[in-house]
Order: sequence, then C-alpha cells, then structure tokens
Amino acid sequence: MKKPTYQKYFLVFVLTSIFFVVSQTAMAAGLFGPPQSVSREAGGLNTAIGYRYHEDTYQDAADIKIRQNEIYSQASYGANNIWEVYGRLGIADLKIEDVFKDNEKFSGTLGAKAFYPISGAWGVGAFVQGTYYFSDFIDKVSRRREVRIDNLWDANFGVGLQGTFPCGAKLYAGPYLYYSEARMSLSSGIRDLGYEAGDFTVANKFFAGGFAGFDIPLAKGFRLNIEGQYAGRFSAGAAISYTY
Amino acid sequence: MSVKWRNIFSQFCKMKSYFVGILLLIFVMSGCAYGEGTSLVVSNDSPPVLLASASDKVPAKAAVDTANPLDEEYTEDEAFDAYADNATKEERVEIADPLESVNRVTHEFNDKLYFWAVKPVAQGYKAVVPEPARISVKNFFSNLGFPARFISCLLQADLSGAITEAGRFTINTIWGIGGLLDPSAGKELNLQEQDTDLGQTLGVWGVGQGFYIVWPIFGPSTPRDSVSIAGNYFLDPVSYVNPWSARLGVNVFDKVNSASLRIGDYEALKDAAVDPYIAFRDAYVQYRYKRVKARKAKRSSAVESAEEPSAPADPELSEKGK
Repeated sequence: MKKPTYQKYFLVFVLTSIFFVVSQTAMAAGLFGPPQSVSREAGGLNTAIGYRYHEDTYQDAADIKIRQNEIYSQASYGANNIWEVYGRLGIADLKIEDVFKDNEKFSGTLGAKAFYPISGAWGVGAFVQGTYYFSDFIDKVSRRREVRIDNLWDANFGVGLQGTFPCGAKLYAGPYLYYSEARMSLSSGIRDLGYEAGDFTVANKFFAGGFAGFDIPLAKGFRLNIEGQYAGRFSAGAAISYTY
Repeated sequence: MSVKWRNIFSQFCKMKSYFVGILLLIFVMSGCAYGEGTSLVVSNDSPPVLLASASDKVPAKAAVDTANPLDEEYTEDEAFDAYADNATKEERVEIADPLESVNRVTHEFNDKLYFWAVKPVAQGYKAVVPEPARISVKNFFSNLGFPARFISCLLQADLSGAITEAGRFTINTIWGIGGLLDPSAGKELNLQEQDTDLGQTLGVWGVGQGFYIVWPIFGPSTPRDSVSIAGNYFLDPVSYVNPWSARLGVNVFDKVNSASLRIGDYEALKDAAVDPYIAFRDAYVQYRYKRVKARKAKRSSAVESAEEPSAPADPELSEKGK
C-alpha cells in the first residue's frame, strides 16, 4: 500500500498555520521583491501573500510619525525572466504616535519590474509601483475632535542589483525614490500633533531610501521573500510566493 | 391579522424545525429499508450484493457444506473463481423506482428546463466568456464547497482526506487568488479534491440509498443522497448571502457556468439512450454506487493500516529481548 506523504502534510500544516497567524494581524504597499521575476521563463503566474510593518514620517506644519501593519495578496505575471507586472489587494491599519489609530482599510497596488542580466549570476533591475487606499482612516481623538485621513497614496521607483546563488536563492539591494501624500482633516486643533483645525496635505519627509532582501526557494514551488526598507524610518516584511 | 391567528402562526413556526427533522428521519429510514431489502442488487452471474451495506465482501458463489472435508478443501478455490468472475464483468446496479410515474414527469420538466432555459443561457455565456475565466469561476465555487467535503471526510473517519481538503482550501484561497486558481491540484502539490458528500458519508456508514427520486431542478437523487442537498444548503457559504435575490443570482450563475463547461454531455447520453429516463437513472445509480464503494475501500484501507502492528526496528534485538 502506498504510504502517505508526510512531507506533503507537513507542508500543508505549515502553510495552514501561516494563513491563520497572518490573518490574525492587520492586512498595501508591501515589499518590492527581487528585481527578477520568479515566474516561469516561458511565462506564467505567480501569487503571493505578504506582510509588512511600515514606519514613516509625514510633514506639513510638524512631523507626524506613522506606523502600519499591512497584509496583502498579490498576483503577478512574468515571462522570459526579464519582466513582470503585478497587482495587490491588501489591508492596513494606521497609527499616528499615540494620538490616532484606525483599523484596517483596503488598498490596491499596481507595479511592474524589468530585469537585465549582466552575467550568469548577476543582473540589475528596475521597478515602479503605486498604492492607493480606497477608504478613509478616521479616529475620534476626543469626544468632539475627529481626525480624518483620506486619499492616502504612494509611488515608488527603484533600481536593484541582484545576485543569484546556485541553489536558486536571490540576494538583492538597491536605492529607491518614494513619494507619499494624504489629505488630513482636523475638526479642531490637536496640540499633541502640533496642528490647528483645518485641512492639510501631508507628504513624506524623506524622498529616497534603500532596500535589501533575499528570496529563497522553499519546496513544491513556494518561495520565501524577506526584505527591509529604509527611508528615514525602517520598514520590513516577508512574503511567501507560489509559482505556477 | 387577529391575535389568535398570529399565535397559531408563531406556534407553527416553532414546530417547523421539528417537522423538518421528522420528515428527514422518515426519508433516511426509507433509504435504510430499501437498502437492506429489495432494491439494490448487483446483477450478473455473481450473487446479489446489498449496496451500501456495512460490508463490501461478495458472498461465495455456492453454499458449501463445511461438514464435508472435501467441500471445505475447495472453498477457497471457489471463492477465488467468484472473485475472478466479478473482476472481469461490469457490475450492474439496480434501484427500486416506486415513484416512476412522478419521476418521469419531473425528469421531463428538468429536460425542458435544460433545453429551453439553461442551455441557451449557457451557450450565450460561453460565447462571451473565455474558457479559462469559466474554469476559474468553477474553481471558485468548488473552493466554497470546502466545508461540506471537509465535514464529510471527518464523518467518514478519513483524516488524510480532511487534511488534504483543509490544505487545498488554505493554499487555493491564499495563493489561488481566493480560489479562482487551483494550485493544489498541480503536479508539485498534488492535493486532489475529495469527491465526497454527506450522501456518500451515509453510504459509507451503511445506510442504503433507497428508491430513486428525480427532484425538480436538482435532478436525480435518492432519499439518502437528498441529505446532501439539505446538508449542502447549511454548509454552503452562498446560502448565507443576503438578500435572497442575490443568493439566487449567485446560485444561478454557478449553475450556468458549470453547464457552459459541459454542454453536449447531457445531449450525448440522451441521444444514445432508447429510454433516456432509464439511462439517466442507471447512470446515476451506477455512479453513486461506485463512489460509495470507493470511499468504503479508502476507509477500510485506512483502518487496516492503523491496526497494522509496527514491525520491530531490529529483529535480532527483539529476539534477544525474549
């Protein structure tokens, strides 16, 4: 009789556990990923689920430090190991210091990347991606004061150098340009934030940063991507992708 | 509405669940009755076999007088011959059909419904929507059917089937874009969908399928398999979509999409049959019999492997230990 493949069940168990652990946290912009597509060379889909902890500084009248937990689901199509287009649907919460906090809101991301191989193991690539939050973040900071943040969006452009190991693991790093803005409405002034009542457009303080990460093959077509980003403040995340 | 009628109505509503339960019980009991007795036989040269009974073993071809040692000697050979006969011939399964006249009317109704409504809509839908998109829709609804399959596997004590279903649901939901794609069925993961339902579960546990019924819209069934229709209603997430018009729309979309992927199958079977009603009845009964038999075999092998004593790691050491 054919023995059950315990390795398969172990993989199922691990993936199921990841699903339940990830779904307990908040769910966006997300990681940039390796410059080279992980889709099949002949062309094909790859899908991923990812998490990123994001910190950033916005400014208008005064600096505002924000924190976000993002979870996203991604579908990509790439071919020839040189190009890829992708879309993400995610959710993210938003905290501004200890003053403002709102739960998860939906966001959508579109991106594309292109890769140019220099030698067998090395290559350079570029990516562009943009994210838009479909809903407003709202919090009542006191009984009569409400803060509303709407039209939050960001755009990123970066280039990366990638090295591929014989086992298929990819190590990558590079600089990126980043712009993000949002409309902030205050029903009355908030001394903690240093803002008076009214509407403001806040934008990110640091327009350039750097990213680095690695992408390693797991088993059965799955890959793990871990990445850190720094643009004034540090963000980091992980994603598990599946190549069809 | 007067207070009196309102009270009667509210009492009726309270009792409704009991009525439904009693009706379901009568329904299943009728399945047991037919299953144990007259209805289901495997007919060819082999002796009658009760379908969906607790045991799948085929009785010996002829009764052997065990008092005679010579007869006893040949028992094994005869049993082997009976197995060889069965192995080479197609099993033919029959079912009681006491409601044939009513069933023929509903069969005709379903036939007209298919040719006059479902098929034209499905053909139009097929012309507009490309096949990969229709397969994705099918995958999506199949993924939503996870609760019924998962619970059926658990009720059949098929743990590996339940784990496979849970894995499929997780992987297809996350990496299959909400179930639109089916990466689990690929060569690498090879987690195949467990083709089972609550009707098969009852069959595995020994409930006979009973007589043949053709439900309007739902099609061929038996009292036992009708439990699947009721069970799926409660276990299908689409059943909880509100309002009812949206739920109806989703269900119709699912059925039209499914029909668009197999236009021609129904027509082929119908055209090949002298009496389509009998052909569909036989095909249905045959299919369900094979499904229940397969699930039983899977359960038996799982029980056997669980009961197998584990061999000692080193026979020499175990000998020394004696």
